[in-house]
Amino acid sequence: MSSLLPTTQSGPTVRARSYGDIVWRQLRKRPAAMVSLGVIVLLAFVAVVAPFIAGEVPIRWVENGETSWPIFRYLDNLEYAGMLAFLLVLLLPVTVRLVRVRAERAATSPFVRALFIHAAVWLTVTAVLIAVRTPERRYGFFLERVGEAQSAWFPFIPTPRHPGYESLAHRDKAPTWRHPLGTDRLGQDIVLRILYGARTAMTIGFVAVGIGASIGVVLGSISGYFGRGIDLVLMRVAEVFMFIPQIVLIIIILAVMPSWVPQLWAVVVVIGVTGWTGYYRYMRAELLRVRGEDYMTAARALGIPTWRLLLRHAIPNGMAPILVSATFGIAGAVFLEASLAFLNLVQTPSWGELLNDGRQHIMGTWWAWGSAGAAIFVTVLVYNLLGEAVRDAIDPKLKI
Amino acid sequence: MKTYILKRLLLMIPTLLGVTMLTYFIVRLAPGDPIEAMIRNQSGNIDPKAMKESADKIRERLGLFEYHFLRDRLYGPEKEWEEKPTGAVFWVTDAADKVASAGVGYVQWFARLCMGNFGESIKYRTSSGSRNAILLIIERIPVTATLNIISEFLIFVVAIPVGFAAARYQGRWFDRASSFVLLVLYSIPAILAATVLIGFLGVGGEGLHWFPIAGLHKFGYEKMDWGASLADLLWHTALPVVCLTYGGLAYMAKMGRASLLENLRADYVRTARAKGLPEGRVVYHHALRNSLLPMITMLVLTIPGLIGGSVIVEGIFSIQGMGLLLLEASKAYDLALIMTETLLYGVLVLVFLLIGDILYAWADPRVRYE
Repeated sequence: MSSLLPTTQSGPTVRARSYGDIVWRQLRKRPAAMVSLGVIVLLAFVAVVAPFIAGEVPIRWVENGETSWPIFRYLDNLEYAGMLAFLLVLLLPVTVRLVRVRAERAATSPFVRALFIHAAVWLTVTAVLIAVRTPERRYGFFLERVGEAQSAWFPFIPTPRHPGYESLAHRDKAPTWRHPLGTDRLGQDIVLRILYGARTAMTIGFVAVGIGASIGVVLGSISGYFGRGIDLVLMRVAEVFMFIPQIVLIIIILAVMPSWVPQLWAVVVVIGVTGWTGYYRYMRAELLRVRGEDYMTAARALGIPTWRLLLRHAIPNGMAPILVSATFGIAGAVFLEASLAFLNLVQTPSWGELLNDGRQHIMGTWWAWGSAGAAIFVTVLVYNLLGEAVRDAIDPKLKI
Repeated sequence: MKTYILKRLLLMIPTLLGVTMLTYFIVRLAPGDPIEAMIRNQSGNIDPKAMKESADKIRERLGLFEYHFLRDRLYGPEKEWEEKPTGAVFWVTDAADKVASAGVGYVQWFARLCMGNFGESIKYRTSSGSRNAILLIIERIPVTATLNIISEFLIFVVAIPVGFAAARYQGRWFDRASSFVLLVLYSIPAILAATVLIGFLGVGGEGLHWFPIAGLHKFGYEKMDWGASLADLLWHTALPVVCLTYGGLAYMAKMGRASLLENLRADYVRTARAKGLPEGRVVYHHALRNSLLPMITMLVLTIPGLIGGSVIVEGIFSIQGMGLLLLEASKAYDLALIMTETLLYGVLVLVFLLIGDILYAWADPRVRYE
């Protein structure tokens, strides 16, 4: 009998490894995955700090003996929010470690708890920023007035960036030290365009796929868990979206979108809202499977409320295919946005737009189309590599 | 099986209704006024009164009339207003009227459709009158079909042997090399491939002037005999077909590899080897046959995606197919054309999914649909 009772253990305590830990360990063993992850972090980093790398607003400016830091006045609220988001994502493992003990005592996932804390911090800070702060928008002519300053620290590539900027003297220049990737046909630095294109690509990738995956997970779990009438109706709705090729639907929506809607947000929302059916189908299939498992029956027998059953037990167990297809989905969204910009269906600062600009003189201005093409290719490639690695780490037999 | 197909076809009716309804309401309920935007595009800024008059004229011609059921009742007719009302109640009233007008418009469109009238295109009107939307699209179908058939054929012929060879020699140099090349191919955006191909190989580019970059035929191709005409077609479609093919090819080759690997690990293959069959017979007679059939199904299922992809390729190479028609129709706010085209896309996807399902059941007798 005594062997059945819990005994006090001597020796090192062994912590149960969570599902996330196991997947992460598997992922760490794959060099391709780690390199891709590194490239993605680097891309996100340069997108977030773009104004510090190339631009016209100086970081430090001394005039008449007065020192000012103009770039911090000029940065947009959303730019600060982006930097904060980047930092918070990088710090996530630290928070996970900090909340681990408390979370395990409350029998919740430390990762989810850390995610919620960071999301709350981000939302609060962003809301306060938007409410309180008004960024400087007047054009400061810093590059023209550089003679008046006693000292000025510019970004690595000091280059003008404002609407209506055109410099015939500097157009279509081959790469030099001043312009490491050359200039385009309006005389704008290509590094600058690549950086702001990276912003668009990152926003599209994360936000559009986030919207699509969220809709898919919510509707898919409702459909799979409750079944019957609501499943039948939701499945028909999903079929409606599946029967119109996504690109066709996007073209129609963008064509009727009025011009006052910000183009970037229009294309983000449109790609997200039209691309949820894949996630919906995976989630629905997973919940159909999970619904019948013993632990679900046990949980139901314990009288756990349905919402808690779904949030705590059913959905986390069906997330694997969602994670994998979301990684591939980001590659697809970047692809799609570049194509839309290439065809002039949206006017965003995008790699697709740069590729289209540069293609008129393929030999003459190889730096323009070459860098845009390389940027799209590398981004799509690393997300595909990461997607394959995540799939293999979770379950090589997943058919995605 | 027959009941299954019938049931599937019946379930498709609400879905197709949903497809047309979704498209119609998107176009009708878009924020702002697309018609006014269109007039502004064509004739610049004109004064509000003239704008309203011409907008009303266009609306009437397109069957896009705005009704004011609620607004007229609550606020009286617009002519009697002293000033435009404001406030949330007015806004809600107006929005409700807009939805109701769109509903009426959809019912009218659907009634006309049931009588076989797909509506008149405003974009492609000529001096002799406007053109029926369905006729315009039927003209374009062969173009898109040609592109997609050549492309599907290439995918089938190249991807399956590559995928199977990779599985047969799993882990060896061919497998590794092909996996790498396929992943790279899969990650090259069609717009980059098109840029490079047009620039370096296209006529009018700056490299070798080998291939034409627009259209499907040479001028005066009608007079050529069929051999020369076919050669001309292949010559014209070479670049667009490459752009359309390589992505699907990479995907199908990956699928082919996975499919053969799955069969090679199956019990019956172990049995065949155990009873001493030569390796060639085990692979080519037993495993290969079983992997080939699901590949055909999968190929059929990729067709809808390929049709979607050809919108971009047609846009880049200005090929007068269905995709380019859709691009032009959406820019011109040509409702009849947009609706007919989406309906057709819906039907196409439906047909290919159904064929895929039937093939799947035919290839694998264990699959039975209730």
